[in-house]
Amino acid sequence: MAGKSGRTINATPSNRLKGAILSWEGLLVLIFIAVVIFCRIISPNYTVENVLREMPKYLSEIFLFFPMAFILMLGEIDISVGSIVCLSATAGCLFSNMGLSFPLVIVTILLVGTICGAINALLITRFPELPSMIITLGTQIIFRGIAEIALGDGGSVAVTDFKGFMSIAGKIGPFPYMFFLVLISAVIFTVISVKMRYGREVMAVGSNRDTSYYSGIKVRRVIFIAYTVMGLMAGVAALFLTAASYGANTTTGTGFEMDAIAMAVFGGIATTGGKGRMVGGIISAFIIVCLRIGLGQINLNSQLILLIIGVLLIFAVLLPNISAMIKAKQKTKAAK
Amino acid sequence: MSKKIIALLLCVVMALSIAACGTTTPTDDGGDDAQKTYAIVPKSAGNPYNEKEVEGFKEIIEANGGKVVVSYPTEATADAQITCINSLISQHVDSIAVAANDANALQAVLTEAMQAGIKVSGLDSAVNKDSRQTFAQQAGIKEVAQALCDAVLEIAGGEGQWAIVSASSQATNQNAWIDAMKDLMASDDKYAKLELVDVQYGDDEPIKSTTVTQALLSNYPDLKVICAPTTVGIAAAAKVLQDQKSACKLTGLGLPSEMAAYIGEGDDFSCPYMFLWNPIDLGKLSAYISMALVEGKITGAAGETFEAKDLGVTYTIVDAADGGTEVILGQPFAFTPDNIEEWKVIY
Amino acid sequence: MKKNFRELSLVIVLVLLVGAVSIKNPSFLSLGNFAEILKNNAVTMILALGMLCVLLVGGIDISVASTMALSGMSVGLLFKFNIISSTPLGFLIGIAIGAVCGLLIGVIVGYGKVAPIIATMGGMYIFRSLAYVISDSQWAGADALRHFPNFALGSFLGINNCVWIVIACYIIFFVVLKWTKFGRNIYAVGSNPIAAEISGINVAQVKLCVYTIMGTLAGLGGVLATTIYASAMPSMQLGSEMDVIAACVIGGVSMSGGRGSVIGALLGSLILAVIGKALPLVGISAIAQNTVKGLLIVVVILVNVITQRAMKKRSLERREM
Repeated sequence: MAGKSGRTINATPSNRLKGAILSWEGLLVLIFIAVVIFCRIISPNYTVENVLREMPKYLSEIFLFFPMAFILMLGEIDISVGSIVCLSATAGCLFSNMGLSFPLVIVTILLVGTICGAINALLITRFPELPSMIITLGTQIIFRGIAEIALGDGGSVAVTDFKGFMSIAGKIGPFPYMFFLVLISAVIFTVISVKMRYGREVMAVGSNRDTSYYSGIKVRRVIFIAYTVMGLMAGVAALFLTAASYGANTTTGTGFEMDAIAMAVFGGIATTGGKGRMVGGIISAFIIVCLRIGLGQINLNSQLILLIIGVLLIFAVLLPNISAMIKAKQKTKAAK
Repeated sequence: MSKKIIALLLCVVMALSIAACGTTTPTDDGGDDAQKTYAIVPKSAGNPYNEKEVEGFKEIIEANGGKVVVSYPTEATADAQITCINSLISQHVDSIAVAANDANALQAVLTEAMQAGIKVSGLDSAVNKDSRQTFAQQAGIKEVAQALCDAVLEIAGGEGQWAIVSASSQATNQNAWIDAMKDLMASDDKYAKLELVDVQYGDDEPIKSTTVTQALLSNYPDLKVICAPTTVGIAAAAKVLQDQKSACKLTGLGLPSEMAAYIGEGDDFSCPYMFLWNPIDLGKLSAYISMALVEGKITGAAGETFEAKDLGVTYTIVDAADGGTEVILGQPFAFTPDNIEEWKVIY
Repeated sequence: MKKNFRELSLVIVLVLLVGAVSIKNPSFLSLGNFAEILKNNAVTMILALGMLCVLLVGGIDISVASTMALSGMSVGLLFKFNIISSTPLGFLIGIAIGAVCGLLIGVIVGYGKVAPIIATMGGMYIFRSLAYVISDSQWAGADALRHFPNFALGSFLGINNCVWIVIACYIIFFVVLKWTKFGRNIYAVGSNPIAAEISGINVAQVKLCVYTIMGTLAGLGGVLATTIYASAMPSMQLGSEMDVIAACVIGGVSMSGGRGSVIGALLGSLILAVIGKALPLVGISAIAQNTVKGLLIVVVILVNVITQRAMKKRSLERREM
């Protein structure tokens, strides 16, 4: 099936190592090492402790990356996640201030995220004529709008009792709790995408929706699950984001959707669907995070950081395309 | 099978390279005798008002032999500022001065900074009292409100309808001024004949500010004054009023360089006069606060004093309305047709 | 027949919207107000044309707002530092900057075969940060722009210059898309790229042209925004690409390519413009305006889909008979 072997792997053992290094993922690891060394050279403060300490905000974006990868593999997109993060963080803070106990606050945050995701899922599966981009554009405005109304004048809420939030922002050694949660999620999502039926269904639907439908895959269900999980993970991101700022405001989570999409694309997941692997995305997510932290430490103009990311994004897709084109040309020449 | 090996390999390599970069932790750059580093985190990049604050800050610090680090957030959000401050903690700067995009959201990260021995102060837009040592306030909230209320009263001719075009409903400063104006108008009889009909938000976007101003004009044909305490909003509103040659006039807080074309006497101009403080001086004040904090001359408690040589004033730290402390730069300054030509080239 | 019906349903939605707002606020129904709507939304309306073409070939462009900022900011600075003082020259430079941006995206999408959303997302970051870099944290305000904003104040035959530009653009695009080979090629590429390639259309070239056109219009939009609001800042038009896309989709343009018309784009952007104008007028509290706007957009789009479904069903029934 398409999902099982996204890219060809040479069977002979002698080629295995070469194949591993030459694969996109192998390349990404090399890039990752290069980035880390590069950052270490430009910034004397680029240490494990500092990088891990600066990581939480980016880690919450990585939570969004996992389900976003599924959604992109399906050939869909979700640009409302930033707003879902905002709405669930807002709900959590407001309920916490109303005296709800912390475990219930966690449930609220996750629940609000999941519900928002389910609303997206419902609209997208009920109105297949409409592209997911336009539906999530609408809900993007609406979810953040609801948060704006709930926050009222001032547009910001601070958690009065932030003991609970502080506890989940804790660390084991230099590693924040959420780092482990990200790793666990990475394993879970990778296993789902490689080993489980659902992962293969996602790939199949992304490659060819009609064929998958006629071969018995419940296309609607597959899409519904992806968007609902997206909502749930947005809730998780909101939880940790709130833990890092003890509050929420109307700009919470702006731009998260673009960062999550960029991570996926950089990892070789095509926005046209049916292509890409989770592992690549995870490595590239860390590449972007480590690079941004490094460039931030030398106080590079923040706009230039965005410029670099923009250029990298285009080249990450352009270069493989060009090499494929050259190969194809050589092949046709050889055939002649 | 091979895939598992690859995946495992990747993880090991990643972990190793992270570890490799951290084995040689550098010592804090320089001892106490070395050059001090002072950081400033403005609200956003690409905004001349913020840039002037940075300029003033730089001038004073560098004249006194310090090193300045300016860390611009990628967006005008608290999230982006958290990232900046985190990075500054890694860089072991000696002080951080921040113009906050949200009063509360920076508490966790600023507390961490203070625990790391970094002196934290605010400027322009305050963080809450628990996240700062003190705050450089551009002008007392009451003074700003008083100046704006009196301007509205005078321009309206003592009575009539007026409205506010603000930035966004979450801008801390704007809300403080608007609330103070409302309180002031309610408390003093001389404002009794003024009627505040509406508060609209232009989100600091020219398009939306234009639309809401036009809406105000058509909803309230008898509107006499619009007060816009925000730089983008006031320029957009001024343009609408001036283009329509409306009888409704404008005042508020704006940048002279942006507003020069609209300030003047008579019907051809929409804004008789407006206010602002000097953002360069505000940056300078913030620099003096940062230096005094780092040198241990002040701790941020009310009653302490420090000298701001370049500004020619000895400032006293006072109690702020939110329970923290602040240093007030001075009175808001009025820009009139007489002095606008002189100021528009400065900021 | 079917196509006209879809546009008719949009006209009905538009009329209903205008009617509803006018009942609530009679001042809405004035000539001056409509002139304001057209002028305020001139930029979105013009960009909707470019986006229409991009969507027709099955692409998307989310870099347009950044392109506008780059072109508007460049022209603003040129005026500010007294390098140019001629209004037409300002327009030309802005349009040229936009065209170069568009060309770049076009090459990457057309010949580099990069997915449009990725290429334009990259462009969005790149062009916006260039706008920031060249601005050097300065704005070009009314005073710095000198006589340049006068263009947006002037009028010809009682109609504002900006509105004339909008009208001219719509006429040109209507003619090109309907009656020229290039227009037909755009539809062909969007409906079925493989078939188009086989039938001798240079798909990459068509895509290149379409993105260049989009960039050119964005360049024009940036300059227009600068003259209309008499201010250029690096953050200008932030997020407006979504308004443009929304306008097209409301106007019935398909995002998978091949379907959509100039009239649809016009109606879509008008509906969006009326919503934007009406919200503060009808006394919806400022805080709820975004939510209501989002809800209205979704509702209008869903109504459009549902009527189309009903239509399809009816035509199927007719066929069975």
